[in-house]
Amino acid sequence: MVPVAAGDAFSADDRFEIDKAIRHAETLCRFEFSVYVGASDGETRPFAERLHASLVAPDRSVLVLVDPGARILEVVTGVAARRVLDDAEVALAALSMRTAFAAGDLVGGITGGVNQLAEHARRPALMHSSD
Amino acid sequence: MIDNRPKLIPRRLVRAVAVTPALLVLAAVSPALAVPPEQWVEADPVSPLGYLLVLLLIPGALFVVISLLVSLGPSGKDGSGYQPGLAWRHEPEWFGGPRDGVEKAEQAQPRTLEGAEGGASGRW
Repeated sequence: MVPVAAGDAFSADDRFEIDKAIRHAETLCRFEFSVYVGASDGETRPFAERLHASLVAPDRSVLVLVDPGARILEVVTGVAARRVLDDAEVALAALSMRTAFAAGDLVGGITGGVNQLAEHARRPALMHSSD
Repeated sequence: MIDNRPKLIPRRLVRAVAVTPALLVLAAVSPALAVPPEQWVEADPVSPLGYLLVLLLIPGALFVVISLLVSLGPSGKDGSGYQPGLAWRHEPEWFGGPRDGVEKAEQAQPRTLEGAEGGASGRW
């Protein structure tokens, strides 16, 4: 009934979906997830890393930056998260997110991508491995 | 083949016994009971127009108004209305970010410059 105010990119339903995906991902793999949607300030990758560094626990955090205007996607994984979630797996999730974004499905891409990242990150680190 | 004729008569008997009280009560009610009590106020006669208004026009108008409001509301699924290639003029949003949001990121120093973070980049 109430029209979405100017400047709001997402409806309440969309927000709920994204929040739910993040919560689900965090309970699944015990890493912190956050999703930034908006224009990046300056160069995208350094901006994403700066956002990531300002999180509460950057080492255990995964940041997804989506810049819909510039059509750029960045995923930053912290040091601890990267041990479990390697860059190839992130690239795979990024690919499926980009596919959804290119089809115009912003919310579906975000929720699907976050889920996929969490699924990959769920694998526990092997404490007894020799290498 | 099973012959169920002997069971038929007791069943009819039971049915008759069960229905009898209801029939008795109905028969005992006389039409006089339907007359309204004396102290009731005599209702004004309703004109056919008033009848139409209350029973048809008002519900119809409500139906139309509610349908209109529903069709004017936000169209369910695709709220973000994002189309690739169009400009994005919305405020940035940070889901699961710190409370003070983007302002905090401005002050944050990229403390891990050694590039220990991983991740991926992409465009679409």
